Amino acid sequence: MSAQLTLQAPLDVPPAEVGPYLERLWNDGLEGSTGAATFTLLVWEPSWLEQQMVRLGRVEGPIRGLDRDDVLQAASAAITAVGLPLSTAPMDPRLTWALGTLPGTQQSSDQRGQFVESAISAHMPRRLITLAPTLEAGRPLETMVAAFCPLPEEGSAGAACGDVIVLRGGLGAIQQGLPLIQPLVGDDLPCWVWWNSSLDEPPEMLEALAPLPRRLVIDTSLGEPARCLDVLTERIAMGQAVNDLNWLRLRSWRESLAMVFDPPSRREALAHVVQLDVDVEGDHPVKGLLLVAWISDRLGWHLISSQAVPEEKGGVDAEFQRTDGATVRVRLMPVPVGAPKAHPGAIVGLRLICEPPSRPHLCVILCSESGGCMRLESGGMASMELAEDVVPLPEEKEEVEMARLLGGGHDSTNPLLAAVAPLAAALLPR
Amino acid sequence: MTTLLTNPLRVGLRQERVISPQCMVIFGASGDLTHRKLVPALFELFRQRRLPSEFAVLGCARRPWSDEEFRAKMAAALAPVIAEHPVAWEQFSQGLFYEPVDLQQSEHLVRLAQRLEAIDRLRATRGNRTFYLSVSPEFYASGCRALAAAGLLADAERSRVVIEKPFGRDYGSAQALNKVVQACSSENQVFRIDHYLGKETVQNILVLRFANTIFEPIWNRNYIANVQITAAETVGVEDRAGYYESSGALRDMVQNHLTQILALTTMEPPGRFDAEAIRNEKAKVLQAARLADEDEPWKCCVRGQYGPGGSAARPLPGYRQEAGVNPNSTTETYVAMKLFINNWRWQGVPFYLRTGKRLPKRLSEVVLTFREAPVHLFDAAGGAPTPNQLILRIQPDEGADIKFEVKAPGSGMRSRPVDMAFSYDDSFGEPSDEGYVRLLADAMLGDPTLYTRSDEVEAAWRLYTPLLELIEESPWQLPVHPYEARTWGPAAADNLLAEEGLSWRRP
Repeated sequence: MSAQLTLQAPLDVPPAEVGPYLERLWNDGLEGSTGAATFTLLVWEPSWLEQQMVRLGRVEGPIRGLDRDDVLQAASAAITAVGLPLSTAPMDPRLTWALGTLPGTQQSSDQRGQFVESAISAHMPRRLITLAPTLEAGRPLETMVAAFCPLPEEGSAGAACGDVIVLRGGLGAIQQGLPLIQPLVGDDLPCWVWWNSSLDEPPEMLEALAPLPRRLVIDTSLGEPARCLDVLTERIAMGQAVNDLNWLRLRSWRESLAMVFDPPSRREALAHVVQLDVDVEGDHPVKGLLLVAWISDRLGWHLISSQAVPEEKGGVDAEFQRTDGATVRVRLMPVPVGAPKAHPGAIVGLRLICEPPSRPHLCVILCSESGGCMRLESGGMASMELAEDVVPLPEEKEEVEMARLLGGGHDSTNPLLAAVAPLAAALLPR
Repeated sequence: MTTLLTNPLRVGLRQERVISPQCMVIFGASGDLTHRKLVPALFELFRQRRLPSEFAVLGCARRPWSDEEFRAKMAAALAPVIAEHPVAWEQFSQGLFYEPVDLQQSEHLVRLAQRLEAIDRLRATRGNRTFYLSVSPEFYASGCRALAAAGLLADAERSRVVIEKPFGRDYGSAQALNKVVQACSSENQVFRIDHYLGKETVQNILVLRFANTIFEPIWNRNYIANVQITAAETVGVEDRAGYYESSGALRDMVQNHLTQILALTTMEPPGRFDAEAIRNEKAKVLQAARLADEDEPWKCCVRGQYGPGGSAARPLPGYRQEAGVNPNSTTETYVAMKLFINNWRWQGVPFYLRTGKRLPKRLSEVVLTFREAPVHLFDAAGGAPTPNQLILRIQPDEGADIKFEVKAPGSGMRSRPVDMAFSYDDSFGEPSDEGYVRLLADAMLGDPTLYTRSDEVEAAWRLYTPLLELIEESPWQLPVHPYEARTWGPAAADNLLAEEGLSWRRP
């Protein structure tokens, strides 16, 4: 359960008064309490899906801006109702867009920014700034401020306090309120910017919120694939510390594949890969491309060509050259699924075929716990050593993954992701 | 032959748990342990990206070094590693600081607190501090008192203290030290380190026992006839004579390392995998352990001391000829003993522990010998069937073997023993992290699972109290038997088992 952290109900303060109010709060109201010397977390939290669902009466309010099972269930149910393919993921921005065309006028209170996952609050952010744009485009800017101190019953004796600031309003109003942000973020503590939305949203907002040296957290499963990979690669090239939740969700696939080649007797086969097939849900290839790019980067392959698979939206055919000059054929295929996972482009299966000379050929098949390997299992592998495994589904919510990043972060991008991102971008047919 | 290529897909996948922003404060930073183990372990964690960017090391000792001198000394000590990773060292060393501190001087502690606050601001370490007492054991108590008096242990969530071994010299001194430490901090802030617990294979005892269903049903007195735990070293006392003369093998190896392995091998399954559940079970089983004969302890223990040995071309000095050793020393370099564990699971099963220096091989292992089949239906190639054994190899060649009987090829029905072997190298092929890497990470994560709790330490000392008292009060009853260097210890140690018709495993 998520904890409501604010010590007091957030107080509406005129935008111009936010700074002076916070000064008074720390000097008078919280006298004797030191602010946590931790970090600032700045969250872009439009929660469009949740807002649409509440507006349509498909879920009840209040709007909280957290991962909610009931919102995802309602979204799954709505996919066919709005005429999208069954393989559409509930978090797919196209669903939110389609829902926006439906009539509905339900209202609910908006508590975004006031609820924080306990895993995040455990790290005692010094300042939480939430930008909460509303569906109503013309809504004026509201700013709310509250202090929070961990409660004694949470076992936090000696813990330090922080504050919560929420900027809510229509997109235009939020843009007008952006000058408030810089003085609130300050320069003395690390600042994380969590872009908790689609990367298709106005790029100016991302530019304004996430200049260097702020650390950026994005999710490349949300948004048009080229835009997602462009943001990722550009930001890494700028020298920003970028974390991609879509990449982090690949961890169990990477671990499962690495495990296959842990026995030294199998390792030689890695130098003789001839074919790699990756199946992904729906038509969002980014996660699959990140997986292909990671494998090719680790094995030192050189990209020769990449093209769209004719008549298969999201399908990619690519050719790599191994270090010994031999060719590796790669195919990424979108496959239809009946019950897609929450995020677009989840991996369904992977097949890696190795043909080491003078040893039995090796076929590695990994498949998703909820999917199946039938497509990858078909065709001509009877003479090969078969290594087959099921990759467990990650069970953690976005907030928990985010909390892990906040718990001990880096001021540079993970070198693996930095190497993989440009390769994934080059693999995407344009 | 196995091709020992590294697994390129494994790179970067060891980041399961995240260490919070942190300042590691090392007292005794001018000592050996700091540059031989601690800073290399921290640098390894940094290279694996297991440390956050907001990280700092503050070295503290009495020498009036500056930050730059400390960095230079660490750089000199780690030169071969740095040559391979110069960029990483450049980044890591920016977080190395030094503060001259004498823990007995209160004004130094005031200055230390101010320095830590400055580091918090400079490196955003959020007030999370791990104090590592790498000082002489007689300063453990006063060091904890000084830290507490300076308010540096007040925040139980953000400050921890790591204490090196030996934790006390006997039951009484361990109790006294625990009282001081617990008066200064809460138990969950205290990390008593035993680097043996940082070894993958020691931890694997838990996984082997409690992640499989095939072992636990037979892991008891109904199926196991005896257990041998061996930690053998080929080296002599080397440059540790000063310390070793006052400790000996019993204090140096048995009370901590071997006893921890005994506890992991014999504990009951914990209800869940967390530090308290595991340490509860370890403490319980140690409290149930007894010397095989507490009234006449000389009957269940043999002490030895290595004499000269080696070959004419490469002679090895005896212990008494080593530099810094009293020529009439009666310090044991070898000890073997027999224990029982008085509980439902282990009643009547003898546990044989041995450790020694200058033995023929360097190895640590646990050997569980199972009871013989009730009826011998077949001729055995060796005369009688060899009892089944499960051998957990802790080092080197880490892994596990099961010995069992199979039909020897041929027309008869003769049986002979064979091995079914698991080897870490063959299955994983990657070198394990040095124990300190794992243990330092755990301390900074606040995970004490692999650290010993106060009641475990006390139970371990209490177990050997009859022997320590005997050595203190009437050492002639427990003489040190000489043994030739590079042999398997004194013959008297064999007699411990021979009475039961058993013998030590010759690995």
